[in-house]
Amino acid sequence: MPAHVKARITMYRMQELGDCFLLTFTAGRDVSRMLIDCGCFRNSGSSIARIKTVVADIKTTLDGAPLDVVAGTHQHNDHVNGFFHAEKEFRDIGVKQTFLSWLDNPEDRRAQEVGDKFHNLRKQIVQIRDGLHKKLRGARNAATRGTEAFQLLDGLLGFFGAQKNADGPPEVPAKGIGVLKKIGTVKPEYLKPGRSLDMPGLPAGTVRIHVLGPPRETELLYRKDPREGESYDRELAAASLHADRFLSAVAGKSDGSSRQEDNYPFNAEFKRTRPASGSALARVMKRYRHTGESWRTIDEDWMDQAGALALYLDTYTNNSSLALAIELVASRKVLLFAADAQTGNWLSWKNVKWDDPKVTTDSLIERTVFYKAGHHASHNATLPEVFDKMNHPDLVALIPVDKSDPNIKKDDGWKMPAEHLFEHLKKQTSNRVLQMDDRNPPECNPDKAAKGAWKKVGIKPKVTDLSITLDIKG
Amino acid sequence: MNAPARSGLPAYRYLRGYALDPGFSTRLDTASINEVTYRIPFEKLDPGPAGEYVEVIDFDPASGCWYDPVDLSDERIASQGGLAPSEGNPQFHQQFVYAVAMKTIRHFERALGRKIIWYPRVMWSRKPGDDVKDVRWPRKYVHRLRIHPHAIREPNAYYDPEKKAVLFGYFDAANQFQGANYPGGLVFTCLSPDIVAHEMTHAILDSIHHRYLEETNPDVAAFHEGFADIVALLQRFTFNELVEHQLYASGGRMDRYTVLGELATQFGEALEGNRGALRGMIGRWNEKNEWEPLKPSPHDYVKNLECHDRGAVLVATIFDAFQRIYTFKTRDLLRIATSGTGVLPEGSVSRDLVHRLAGEAGEIAEHLLHICIRALDYCPPNDITFGSYFRALITADLDIAPEDENGYRIALIEAMRARGIFPARVNTLSVESLRWSSVSFTKKERDAIDWIADQMKNDIRALVETPDREELYKRSLKAQAKLHALLMGKQQVLLGPAQWESFLNKLGMTSLPVSQLFGKNSKKVRFLLHGKPFNNYTPAIEVHTVRPAFRAGREGRQIEQVIVTLTQRVTVDLGKDGEQKRMIFRGGCSLILSFGSLNTVEHVVVKNIKSYRRFRQQAAYMSGGGAEPSAAATSTYIRPAHGREMDFRRLHRH
Repeated sequence: MPAHVKARITMYRMQELGDCFLLTFTAGRDVSRMLIDCGCFRNSGSSIARIKTVVADIKTTLDGAPLDVVAGTHQHNDHVNGFFHAEKEFRDIGVKQTFLSWLDNPEDRRAQEVGDKFHNLRKQIVQIRDGLHKKLRGARNAATRGTEAFQLLDGLLGFFGAQKNADGPPEVPAKGIGVLKKIGTVKPEYLKPGRSLDMPGLPAGTVRIHVLGPPRETELLYRKDPREGESYDRELAAASLHADRFLSAVAGKSDGSSRQEDNYPFNAEFKRTRPASGSALARVMKRYRHTGESWRTIDEDWMDQAGALALYLDTYTNNSSLALAIELVASRKVLLFAADAQTGNWLSWKNVKWDDPKVTTDSLIERTVFYKAGHHASHNATLPEVFDKMNHPDLVALIPVDKSDPNIKKDDGWKMPAEHLFEHLKKQTSNRVLQMDDRNPPECNPDKAAKGAWKKVGIKPKVTDLSITLDIKG
Repeated sequence: MNAPARSGLPAYRYLRGYALDPGFSTRLDTASINEVTYRIPFEKLDPGPAGEYVEVIDFDPASGCWYDPVDLSDERIASQGGLAPSEGNPQFHQQFVYAVAMKTIRHFERALGRKIIWYPRVMWSRKPGDDVKDVRWPRKYVHRLRIHPHAIREPNAYYDPEKKAVLFGYFDAANQFQGANYPGGLVFTCLSPDIVAHEMTHAILDSIHHRYLEETNPDVAAFHEGFADIVALLQRFTFNELVEHQLYASGGRMDRYTVLGELATQFGEALEGNRGALRGMIGRWNEKNEWEPLKPSPHDYVKNLECHDRGAVLVATIFDAFQRIYTFKTRDLLRIATSGTGVLPEGSVSRDLVHRLAGEAGEIAEHLLHICIRALDYCPPNDITFGSYFRALITADLDIAPEDENGYRIALIEAMRARGIFPARVNTLSVESLRWSSVSFTKKERDAIDWIADQMKNDIRALVETPDREELYKRSLKAQAKLHALLMGKQQVLLGPAQWESFLNKLGMTSLPVSQLFGKNSKKVRFLLHGKPFNNYTPAIEVHTVRPAFRAGREGRQIEQVIVTLTQRVTVDLGKDGEQKRMIFRGGCSLILSFGSLNTVEHVVVKNIKSYRRFRQQAAYMSGGGAEPSAAATSTYIRPAHGREMDFRRLHRH
């Protein structure tokens, strides 16, 4: 009979979009410390300062003990830039081992293929953003489509810490993962779905970690709404081709015509820029350019494609999230950390073939008592059909969201948390859901309206300026 | 519609084009049939082509260049049936989008019995926060829809309701893109007849029911998508060459659904990437490379919430009806051809039989297409659901063909039933309970309608006789204004206040102030007027459209009708924590009046503005709080364009 475990979950308050969770498991005299992600959306001075404050607190909390394991879930700034910016501090604390997804495994050929293409697409998209920026700066009139596309693109590149006016190259998150690959005293574990491991630092069988995602069927990585029978190669190849042509259009026009552009999409002989006066084309152009018709010109509509490409990249990266179900064996309780997994990743869980025949995905979901809301509780990072099964009466949830983040606060800002999902979360947790920014709606106030609900499950949330802590008896 | 040869001009123009995506031309087995001749009404054209309804403007902003416009009046081109199909010649592209666009418009005009007039430009404010149309913005006539065959560099094509334009994209296909359709290389969406017809349908549907851009329930966007597919799909079956070819190719299997199903499935695949949800709704190819139909399930409608999936259910239903009618109508042919067994032997097939079968399929497709289009006039002016569309289909068809000799209605009902589409508050799926019931007006109300109708008679006649579209637009506006004045000016005289309210209720409207709109539930609603809280106003009655329709029926009938839509709307605040979030809630009706004796109101299709139930459903749907959040409520990063209106560009992108 395995020992009962006390699990302490600390969500650090990053003051912007960002995930950082410290988990401490105590089983008798054995203690294990696990960190899942450490990142801020931005790479600014204040963001780095916050990261360092948080890491300093981790050090204090650990009181000289090293981290038994650190999991880096996916290559987005708001999850892993802390490992880059505070590498020294982490080395100082000490990390025994790291958990990364199979996609980060340098010896996995499939991972490398995907990785190369991903890297290439990301590079293309950064170039597109820069090209658009240049182009729009030169435009005389307020460029609506182009500007919208640019803003979306730039905003999403923010997840790589690479916004135009921020100070990081898009490689920061990759570097964060790079740090995790070599910081441990033993080699990293590159996790594939279906594996179950013992929590390092505890007697075997006390706390088990079950890997749900990212899926091996790579087609699911690219789709936020995948349909059956669609091949992944097509999606990726298409995205890259489109990016390529788009880039060539952006570049072709800001730098003068390129050879590749000359005969695309038609041979150069068909292309006209200055028509002969009085020609049929001149008359068509005059109609098009007529001031009374300026409301229907389409000069910039093509730029909107940039946003679509950026969304591809974003969806892919989120779906590459390492999704972990942590089981407190004696009490059978499960803590679910799915990072930013989107629909494709969630959908794949039901088909996971578990190494341990006793494990089933449904059972893990049904026993979940703690849920880390996916992707700051955006609408498609918690799959309703799975969440519906997460119906344990003790369920509680934490949302790493800060509504003061400029991406959310701006006019028509990002919808985090998504309204309907938040309602769903409240309902299923009996209002035991807390936001990182501590700006919970009145019905979720853990000291007032929701006090009874928390008491019922035996948890008293502790909220400080730096973190929110829950103790779960398992 | 277009006047025939009276002026000495020919009735038709013949233009060469593709029947299928040009990708098919490169496959040997379809090369012979892919080039067909499009027959479209003749009109004088400027280079572009630019005619009465559309102007093709070939500006390629991504490439920073223009392409010379094709001049179809040039006799060197005109005498050859237009330019020869060629993917590498932009002028052929211009000719082709024009041909398919006009063919689509032509189908609508024939089915509706009136001219298509693009929905006028609404000059709304672009200031942030002002994006909800809260006041009557000025409107302006739009003469021609613009078509840009090379507007964007992406696998997409869309109708932009704000610009009154259809934009087509081009892109590099990945090697296996769209199954075997494209062997790689450059793909132009403007060369796919399916895509062109689909996009044109969005534009035409918008001209008829502008408020279907408002996503007020999960069926609205699905309807726009599904309907556009229905038109494109049925249009495909009107090419007898295609069907004939398919029949030959399938040898003796033509007594099964296979032939039509394969064509429909290819259609789904051709649109894949652009939108494509049709795939997998009708049938698919198994490992042995044999096509097999998919069995419909009574959960299809309820289960599929995503708008493309749900739209595909609509298409599959219509296609199912098409197959049923085809089977019904060709049984005798097969019996004749097989000495009564109805089972064809394996092996080669009689050319004559194939020709006759293809002819039947083409005729059914065209009939069904026209029924589907005509039903639009029997739909409510806003908040469309599949249920109300099917009721409209049945009612419209009853008006045009009371006998239903070939079983169209039974086929439609069977197909609906198979997919679990049950209109709200209809007890049985029978023709009698599905048709819109007629309203019982009181004697006094009938007199009032009679009097108003009398006053309007000449204005309506004038509408029918106006050949010029702009003049028609102006006269329609005048007719709307006059009807409005008659309705409002004479209310007291004709009916008196209490009866006025009861009369309006029958039309889905009210004369009460909004504070009493939902009875005691009104207290729970925060009404707005011009963006400020206010509940002491009566929503204005709007005569949204007045449209005559002269159409030919299936059984040799001539139908003369007037369709009037009357609407009202209130604005409410759904916001939380002091943050205002406006929603428009509309009610009203479509009135179908028979023209011979104008005072007969044949049908009233109502969306009741006093329905608190419908109000709550819409509020839940639009705010994302309901079980089925709208796209606008769920998109994480993207601000929905202009309040709550649909954005086809994003709808078509996957």
